Amino acid sequence: MITIENLQKVYKTEEIETTALNGINMHVAEGEFVSIMGPSGCGKSTLLNVMGLLDKPESGSYRFLDTELLTLRDRDRSAFRKKNMGFVFQNFNLIDELTVFENIELPLIYNKVNASERKKLVNEIIERMNIVNRNKHFPQQLSGGQQQRVAVARALVNRPKLVLADEPTGNLDSAHGNEVMELLCELNEQGTTIVMVTHSAHDASFSNRIVNLKDGHVISEKINKSRSAELI
Amino acid sequence: MFKLNLKIALRNLWRNKGYTAINILGLSVGMACCLLIFLFIRYQTSFDNNFANASRIFRVVSTWEYPEGIFRSKGTPRPLPPAMREDIKEFEKVAAVQHSSAILKVNLPDGSEKLKVNRAIFFAEPELFEIFNFNWLKGNPSVLNTPNTVVLTDTVARTFFGSAEQAIGQSVIMNQGQPLRVAGVLANMQPNSSFPLNIVVSYKTYRDPNMQSWGSVTSASECYVLLKPGVHPASLQAPISRFLKKYYDGTAPGKEGHLLQPLADLHYNADYGNLAGQIMPRNELYGLAVIGIFLILTACINFVNMATAQAVGRSKEVGIRKVMGSRRKELIVQFLTETLAISVLSLLLACVLAEMALPGLNSLFRENLSFSLFSHPVIFVFMVGLVLLVSFLAGFYPALVISGFSPALAIKNKISQAASGGMGLRRVLVVVQFAITIVLIIGTIVILEQMRYVRNQPLGFDTQAVALVSVPNDSLSRPRFANLRDRITKIPGVTEVSLCDAPPSSMNNNQSSFSYNSTRDETFQINVKFADEHYQRAFGLKLAAGRFLARRDITAEYVVNETLLKKLNVREPADALGKYIVCQGVKAPIVGVVRDFNNMTLRETISPLLLCSRAASYELLAVKMEGKAIMQAMPQVEKTWNEVLPEYVYSSSFMDEQIANYYESERVTGTLFKVFAGVIMFISFIGLFGLISYVATQRTRELAIRKVLGASTAELVQLLNRSFIVMVCCANLVAWPLAYLFVTRWLSQFNYRIELTVWPFALAMLVSITVTLATVTLRSYRAAKTNAIDALKYE
Repeated sequence: MITIENLQKVYKTEEIETTALNGINMHVAEGEFVSIMGPSGCGKSTLLNVMGLLDKPESGSYRFLDTELLTLRDRDRSAFRKKNMGFVFQNFNLIDELTVFENIELPLIYNKVNASERKKLVNEIIERMNIVNRNKHFPQQLSGGQQQRVAVARALVNRPKLVLADEPTGNLDSAHGNEVMELLCELNEQGTTIVMVTHSAHDASFSNRIVNLKDGHVISEKINKSRSAELI
Repeated sequence: MFKLNLKIALRNLWRNKGYTAINILGLSVGMACCLLIFLFIRYQTSFDNNFANASRIFRVVSTWEYPEGIFRSKGTPRPLPPAMREDIKEFEKVAAVQHSSAILKVNLPDGSEKLKVNRAIFFAEPELFEIFNFNWLKGNPSVLNTPNTVVLTDTVARTFFGSAEQAIGQSVIMNQGQPLRVAGVLANMQPNSSFPLNIVVSYKTYRDPNMQSWGSVTSASECYVLLKPGVHPASLQAPISRFLKKYYDGTAPGKEGHLLQPLADLHYNADYGNLAGQIMPRNELYGLAVIGIFLILTACINFVNMATAQAVGRSKEVGIRKVMGSRRKELIVQFLTETLAISVLSLLLACVLAEMALPGLNSLFRENLSFSLFSHPVIFVFMVGLVLLVSFLAGFYPALVISGFSPALAIKNKISQAASGGMGLRRVLVVVQFAITIVLIIGTIVILEQMRYVRNQPLGFDTQAVALVSVPNDSLSRPRFANLRDRITKIPGVTEVSLCDAPPSSMNNNQSSFSYNSTRDETFQINVKFADEHYQRAFGLKLAAGRFLARRDITAEYVVNETLLKKLNVREPADALGKYIVCQGVKAPIVGVVRDFNNMTLRETISPLLLCSRAASYELLAVKMEGKAIMQAMPQVEKTWNEVLPEYVYSSSFMDEQIANYYESERVTGTLFKVFAGVIMFISFIGLFGLISYVATQRTRELAIRKVLGASTAELVQLLNRSFIVMVCCANLVAWPLAYLFVTRWLSQFNYRIELTVWPFALAMLVSITVTLATVTLRSYRAAKTNAIDALKYE
């Protein structure tokens, strides 16, 4: 589904130039669950942001279902993003002023889905995420695990082809963390392609394949036998 | 500690350069306007308050009650002052003053003419100088007991004779033959005085045929009284009504009355006027003061908004200070110190701005004096007061909010927006600010529209290219009128010349009682204008019936206007022809009816009017010219005039300029509104820009999340702008009724006024929304365009 070739990304400040991505090549197949791992500053978040069209590399190619995305104009990039991608962040990034329901509804609004359809889709996903009795609450009234469920629900409500997760369990204790990981696995099993950045080997063990980055290079790839069997 | 606080304050100001600039800019512009307004109000309220007995000094004024309303005059009948001196025991002093003008000539020792001027002079009784303690450089009030003596001010004495010493004993020749002996010299009159007594002639020199007439009053004969100590003016009602009974028989159509007008009212009461002719209605001063308060309020609102908005950023500092043992009071003092620092900086800038604007203020008010920032200690007091007030108004609430943060939360930077004074208050303040701005915008539109309307209103006569040349009227000059008129008529470019006492529209109107086709006086007065047979053509008057006046030197026939006929219930103008009118003792037939023209300002309705010939009353030569010929013709007119009347002094003006002068106060009000509406708009919108910057910063994370979820830039800009548009709409709703009240009140003083439509209101709304959108979008667009990742990464 995703083919990345020779991505280059350099961050410039007044004094230093940091090479975040240095010629990355990568392929993600439809239905795959890929973990990206590596030490701090290896470029894994940058890679995820580039895949989510939130950041632009200097050079290289990024094809998604045979569409070259890096040459798109800003407006088309955001249109493509809201149609095909969902995001889950380490710090949830829910809007404090909106209720659970409204937070989840937001991507649908931006996709110009009509109100009755929106209500149906949100209720469906709320039920699936097991947060029905929370839909009138505000984010601060929920535990971290519940907040992340809401964030996952928001990422999925639009039925994206690809979910990008940036350390989804980083702010959670292990019990809640596991809950979220199981949720992601479940989604993956239902056919959603997931790319996740993580520090935790435990979390990575839930995925089909682990890509290791260092200093902007892919240094190794490992197929997770226990999970990838189902895929093949 | 103070030094440290100051250091932190200054560093903070420096770090938030943008906010500081907005604060200081807004405050200093507001303060500068306040300073200017204060200077002006201080000057205007300083009139006539330097006299020792000020609280006991009154002017006797006259009123006549007609069924139509009350007619007022600042003058009194000429026999009134001596009668009051005799009859009313509560008056310590009574003094008559007669305002007049004269041609004064000063000769050199060899008898040749040194100078000849036409000046305002005042015939005054010596008591006037016992009522008012003017400063005498030479001589004393008693010199005015002698006929044919004159007292000059220092400047006049210098102009006439070189110095005050040299002036004493010299003679000034009044009106071609009456020598006056200079017997005293007064210190120069202050510019802020209603008494421009530069040349005072002893009252015993004054001659007038109406010296003993109780029925004839001109506004030029004034009477001042000094109450005995302890006498309350209200207690004088009984003596005055006894006085009225004694001297008036009650047969005149208007019921006579006299009132005591306090000295402190002279400069402000437009009903009566004063000798100096400078009036500043109190309402206008109040209006200015209110605008000043609005200005400072708007600037303070900016400050409060910015300060509470920034409060969150200061919370960590507050937390640390509290943990270190600082008490709340100390924190409040610290934050007030910061506000004080900003206020003082703003004041310095405001002084510079005010100094730059002073020439504009002087020229706007056409006052021949310079306002100076440092001329009066009270101005310093005002400045200090202003700084303290602003510091307190603007600083106290934010200080209270910031110092109230809980240290535990503050130190972790966990103060939320709600705790820092909230958006609610800021929204209310912004609405107030906008409402003020919108009221001023509407006011400005209406005032300018009304002024345009007045300028374009047809007056019913021709005002263009008519010069009004004054002519002296005495037994020596009158025989030369015909010659003068003939010669001026021959000047190329001059199309018509008319002799008259006043132009069609004039501030000086002769009112008189009259009777129409009967022996009984009508219940209303009539405006009498004296004019020769050329008047109609000179001013382009239109006839409704009959003919215009024929050539006569005395009154033998009348021309009336349509308004008079309406008041007399005469339907057809032609029906009035041949009917007799008796006015000022002259019975004559009506020969013509002129179409109505405005005989006063457009504030007033058209009066019933009578035109007739009377050479003895002509004071003006109305010279109608071809528009292009004015430049060439006017010097010729002056030359001819001087040849025909060499012993007199030439002066002239233009009809259209005179008319423009009637609306002087509207011109000033209009300009002030334009300027202040501009300033307030400027202050409001830089405040707005500050607020949107802050809001955009606060909502960066939210915007980023929305962007990631697929919001387009336009959607984000709309999101940020929406609340501001709602605020502007609220402000409009608040402002409209206020503006409506103000505007209808202001318009009600005009008889000819624009219909108040909805469009000034709609335009104000459009302007406010457009400017708000532009201001806000400028900033929110930038916020919407920022890279979402940067905002999400760093929490």
